[in-house]
Amino acid sequence: MKLDLQKTGNKAAGAVAMVAAALLVGAVLVMISGNNPLEAYSTLLSGAFSSKQRVSELFVKLVPVMIMGLGISVAYRAQLWNIGAEGQFIIGSIAATAVGLYVKLPPVLLAPLTLLAAIAAAGGWALLAGFLKVRFHANEVITTLMLNYIADYFLDFLVYGPMMDPAGQLPQSAMVPEGIQIKAIFSGLRVHYGLAIMVVVFILTVLLWRSTLGYRINLIGQGERVSTYAGVNVKRTILLTMFISGAVAGVAGWIETFGLQYRIMENMAGSYGNIATVVALLGALHPCGIAVASFFFSILLVGGASMQRMTNVPYSIVDVIQGLIIIFVIAGIVGQGRKTVKRAGRIGKDA
Amino acid sequence: MLEKIFTTGFFVSLLASTIRLATPIMVPALGQIYTQRAGILNLGVEGTMLMGAVTGFAVACLTGSLWLGLLCGMLTGMLWSAIMAWLSITMKANQVIAGLGMNILGAGLAAYIYRVIFGVQSLPPAITAFQSISVPGLSDIPILGAVFFQHNALVYLGFLLLPLNWFILEKTTFGLKIKAVGEHPRAADSKGVSVAGVRYAAVLIGGLYAGAAGAFMTIAYLNTFTEAVIGGRGYIAVAVVIFARFLPVRAMWGALLFGFASALQMRLQALGVAIANQLMLMLPYIMTIIALVFASNKAEFPSAYTIPYSRMER
Amino acid sequence: MEELAVKMQGITKIFNQVKANDCVDFSLRKGSIHGLLGENGAGKTTLMNVLYGLYQQEAGDIFIHGAKAEVDSPLKAISLGIGMVHQHFMLARPLTVVENVMLGRKSRRGILLDTKETARELQTLSDKYGMGVDPYSKIWQLSVGEQQRVEILTALYMGADILLLDEPTAVLTPQETNLFFDTLRQMRDDGKSIVLITHKLEEIIAIVDEVTVLRDGKMIGTLNMDESVTKDQLTRMMVGRDVLFNFKENTRAPGAVRYCLKNLCARNAKGVAALKNFSLDIREGEIVGLAGVDGNGQSELCEVLTGLRPLDAGEITLDDEKMANRPPAYFISHGVCHIPEDRHTTGLAMNWDLELNLILKCFYKAPFAKHGLLCKKAIEEYWEKTRAAYQIKANCGGDTARSLSGGNQQKVILAREIESEPKVLIANQPTRGLDVGAAEYVRQKLLNTRGNGAALLVVSADLEELLQLSDRIAVIYGGELMGILERGADPYQIGELMMGKKQEVSVCEA
Repeated sequence: MKLDLQKTGNKAAGAVAMVAAALLVGAVLVMISGNNPLEAYSTLLSGAFSSKQRVSELFVKLVPVMIMGLGISVAYRAQLWNIGAEGQFIIGSIAATAVGLYVKLPPVLLAPLTLLAAIAAAGGWALLAGFLKVRFHANEVITTLMLNYIADYFLDFLVYGPMMDPAGQLPQSAMVPEGIQIKAIFSGLRVHYGLAIMVVVFILTVLLWRSTLGYRINLIGQGERVSTYAGVNVKRTILLTMFISGAVAGVAGWIETFGLQYRIMENMAGSYGNIATVVALLGALHPCGIAVASFFFSILLVGGASMQRMTNVPYSIVDVIQGLIIIFVIAGIVGQGRKTVKRAGRIGKDA
Repeated sequence: MLEKIFTTGFFVSLLASTIRLATPIMVPALGQIYTQRAGILNLGVEGTMLMGAVTGFAVACLTGSLWLGLLCGMLTGMLWSAIMAWLSITMKANQVIAGLGMNILGAGLAAYIYRVIFGVQSLPPAITAFQSISVPGLSDIPILGAVFFQHNALVYLGFLLLPLNWFILEKTTFGLKIKAVGEHPRAADSKGVSVAGVRYAAVLIGGLYAGAAGAFMTIAYLNTFTEAVIGGRGYIAVAVVIFARFLPVRAMWGALLFGFASALQMRLQALGVAIANQLMLMLPYIMTIIALVFASNKAEFPSAYTIPYSRMER
Repeated sequence: MEELAVKMQGITKIFNQVKANDCVDFSLRKGSIHGLLGENGAGKTTLMNVLYGLYQQEAGDIFIHGAKAEVDSPLKAISLGIGMVHQHFMLARPLTVVENVMLGRKSRRGILLDTKETARELQTLSDKYGMGVDPYSKIWQLSVGEQQRVEILTALYMGADILLLDEPTAVLTPQETNLFFDTLRQMRDDGKSIVLITHKLEEIIAIVDEVTVLRDGKMIGTLNMDESVTKDQLTRMMVGRDVLFNFKENTRAPGAVRYCLKNLCARNAKGVAALKNFSLDIREGEIVGLAGVDGNGQSELCEVLTGLRPLDAGEITLDDEKMANRPPAYFISHGVCHIPEDRHTTGLAMNWDLELNLILKCFYKAPFAKHGLLCKKAIEEYWEKTRAAYQIKANCGGDTARSLSGGNQQKVILAREIESEPKVLIANQPTRGLDVGAAEYVRQKLLNTRGNGAALLVVSADLEELLQLSDRIAVIYGGELMGILERGADPYQIGELMMGKKQEVSVCEA
C-alpha cells in the first residue's frame, strides 16, 4: 500500500512537471508575440475565478471535459485509440435531441428515453469503429477520426436542414421541452445538475476498474495473444469497450445539450474531443488523475477566453499548451518505462 | 438537371479538378510511404501540413515570392516532423499518441502564428496564388489538354514525384535501407545500417512532402489561410498509404479517388444539384473508411510497423 | 607458433549492472574451428556480439590478426573480415537474397543498387561451395537450412575470413548437422577461422579443434581437443558440478487415455497446412514428448490443443468431452492447461502486475472476485502464498512481470498452470532460455504434475531433455506424425524421423 502511494505521488509529481514545462514553453511563445507571459497567465487565472459566474462556468466546462476524458480512458486502457469522442458526443446529442423533440411522451418517461437514445447512438457510433477493427482490421484511429468528420457534417446537415428551428434562421434545432431539460443548480448561474451525473460517471468508472470487466478491458490492452490465452473473448471485449467508451461520450453530449443549450447547434462539440484525449493521458488513465486534469483544463478554457479578451494573446495558446502537454507526457512516460527496463537487469542475449 | 451533368464541359472540369484536388493528398501520401515503409506510423501529417500551410502562406505574403513560400513550407514540414521523429525513434513513444499530440500542437501553433503575424483583420489577407500553366502544344489537345495540361506548376511537380518515389524505393541503396529497417531492423543494424538514421531520414522526407502539400493548399489551391484549410487531408493521406499497401502508383490511384469524390461534390454543388452540401462533404471521409475496410485485411504491413528499435532488447 | 586470428583480452560487458562477460580472455587460431561452450546465459553470444561490434565492451582489448582494433560497429567488424551468423537469422523476409546481401555493403554504383553484378558474383560463390542458393529468391520462400546457407554465403561474400556462428545447428536435424559440419571443415581447410557457439557437447567432440568454456559470464578455461578430453570434463566446466539431471523412472504405470487426438488438420498463420491427419493419445499419468525440427507444426498443435487455433478437421476428446473448435475458455474450464512457447507475448502480460498475471485464468472466480468485483485482499494473499511455494524472486506482487528474470517469469506461469490442478498440460518449450537451475526446477515440476495423474504433452527442441522426461516420444515432421518411440529410444533413430523418414512399422494407435 505504501508503495502504491509512493507510485501515485511520483506520477502526480511527474504530471505537474509536464504541465509546468508546457506552460513554460507557452510563456516563451507569449513573449515572442510581444506580450508579457506573467500578465497573460495571471489574467488567465483570475479570469477563471474572478466572479461567481466564472466559477460557475468552470464547472460548466468541467462536466463534459471530465466525462469525455473518463470515457476515452476506458478505450485507452484497452489500447484502443478511440479519438472519436467528438463524433460520439455529437451523435449522442443528436439522438437525444431528436427523441426529445419528436417523441411525445410525458417528461418522466421522455427524459430517461433521451438519455438511453444518447447512450445507444453514441455507443453504436463508436461500436461501428470497433466492428470495423474486429471484422476488417481497420485501424480505429483513422476510422474514429473519419467518423468525427462525418458526424460533424451530419450535424450541419441536420441543423441547416431537417431539424432547423422553424422559428428562426440560425443553424440550430428547436429547443427541447422544458420538462426534460436539466435544471440549473442556482438561479442566475449556468452550472446545472449535470454535475451530479458527472459524479455518478466518476464513481462508475472507479468501480469499473475494480470489476472483472475492468480486468478484461485492462488485459486486452496488454496484448491480444495473452488475452486469448487467458480465455478472454478479445473481439467481444473490444466491441464492449468501444461501446462503453462511446456511450460515455454520448452521456456528455446529452448533458451538454439538455443542461446548457437545450438544442443542438453547429460546432457544438468545440474542442472537447481533443481535450478529452489530453486529460485522459495527463491523468494517466486513472479516474482521480483525470478528475484533476479536467479541472486544470477547465481553468485553461474559461481563463483562456478572458485572457484573449483582456490581453493580445490569442486563445490558440490554449491549444498549443494542450499539444505540448501530450508531447511532454508521452516523452515522460517512456522515460519512466525505460527505468523499469533498466531495473529488470536482464543479462545478455544468450537465450 | 441530368442534361446539365452529362456534358463534356462538366466532365472536363470534373476530371481537371479531380487531379488538382488529388495533389495535396498524393504528395503527403508519397512522403508517408517512405515513413511507413521504414516502420513509423506518423499520424501527425495533418499538423505538419497545417504548419507548412501557415509558413508557406506567411512567407509568400511577406516576401511576395510564392517559390520562397513553398520552400519555407517544406522546410517547416521537415523541422516539424523532426519532433515526431525524436518522439517515436529516440524516445520510443507510442506513435499514435505522439501523432495526435503533434496534430493538436500543430493546429494550435499554426493558428497562433497566423494570429501573431496577421492579427485580427476584417478582410483576411490574400495573395496571388500559383496560376495554371498551359503546357504548350499538349494543352491544345481537345478534352485531354484541359484535363491534364492546364494546371499550376505544383500539380505537375507533384506528379513528377511519383516516378521519383518509385525509383528511390526500388533502385537505390537508400530505398533498400528504408525497406530493411521497416522489415527487420536488427538485421539492418547487424549489416551496418544505422536504423535510427534511416528512420529519421524517412520521417523527415515525409515531413518535407507534407510541408509542401500544406503550402500547396494556401498558395496554389487557395490564396489564403484558414484554420480548416487542411480539413483532414493529412489523415486521408495516411489512410491512402495503407489503402495503397505502401506502393507509390497505387497511392496515386487512391489520391485520385479522393480527389474525384471531392471534385464531384464541388461540381454538383456548383450546378445546384439538390443533394445537401453537407452530405456531399462527407464523401471523402466515408470513402476513407471504405478504403480501409477493403485494404486492411490484405495489406502486408512492414514487420516492424510502429515498433521502436532498441539494440539491447529483443 | 601459429598466428592468432582473434585475441580478446579481459573483456567485460555489463548490462544493467549485471556482468554478462566478466574479464573474459579468448583466442582464435587462424585456420581452426573453435568451440565456445556454455549453458544458456553464460555470455557466449554476448562475447561474440562484442567482437562483432554490436555491443561495446566496458573493459578489455580486441586484437584482429595481431593488431589492436576498436570494433565499434558491425560495419567495422565486416571491414576487418569478421562475419557473424546469428541464431535468429538476420534476413528481411520480403526481400530477395541479393537485396539482403547488398544491404551490408557499399554499392559500386554510388547511390544506385548494383543488383546484377552482385547477384552474379553471389552465384559464383554459391557454386564454389555447392550451396545451391538462388540470389533472386525471396527469403520467405527458403527453408531454414537454405536461409542458414544464405547467411554464411553473405558473410563469405563480404570477405569474412573469421566466421562467428551462433548455435547454427539448433535448427538442423542430426543428419543435416553432419552435412553442415562437412562444409565447415571445407571452409577451415580454405583457411577460414571459425567460432562455433554451442551448448551441445557432442558437437564440440565432433568437429572442434579447440574449445573455450564460459560459465556465468566468466571464462572457465580453454582446452585443445584431443583424445584426452572427455564429455564429463567439459560438463563439469560448463555447469560447475558433476551430475546433470537424473530423473526417476515413472513408478506409476500410465492409466486410461485422457486426451485423444484424431486426424487433426489445421493451417498456420499464413493459411498453409500445418497439421496433417495428426493422431495421438495421451494417457493420464504420462508424459508424451514431441520431437521435431522447429517449425514442423509443433506450435500449431499446441495451439489447437488449447483452443487457440481453429481446427479444419479432426476430433479432440478429453475424457468424454468433445473439445474441437471450442473457445479457449472452454479448454481452460475443463482443465487443459498450457505453458506457451512465448512467455513474452502469450504466457504473461509483461507490463502488468505479477499478482494479476497469477490469476489470469481464474480472475472471475471466487475468492478473487465477488459479485463481479475483484477482491484485492484475496489476490494479494494468493500471490504471497504462491511466491513462497514456488520461490519466485520478486519484490512484491505489484511489480511488473517484465522486472523478473526469465526463470522467475516461467515460475509464475508454472505456478498458475499447475496450481489449477490440470487434467491435461501442454508444455511448449518449457525450459527454453532458462539457466540450468531454473530448467531443472521446471522439469521437476512437470514430473510432479505427471505424478498427480495429469496427461502431459511436452514439446522441446532439446532431444536430451525429451529423452529424460518422456514416457513416449512422438516425432512430428511437416505436420505429420512420423512415429512414436518408447522410452530409451536411440537418438539417431529419432533424428531420422525428424528428417521425415517414416517409421516402417507405425506404432501410431487410435
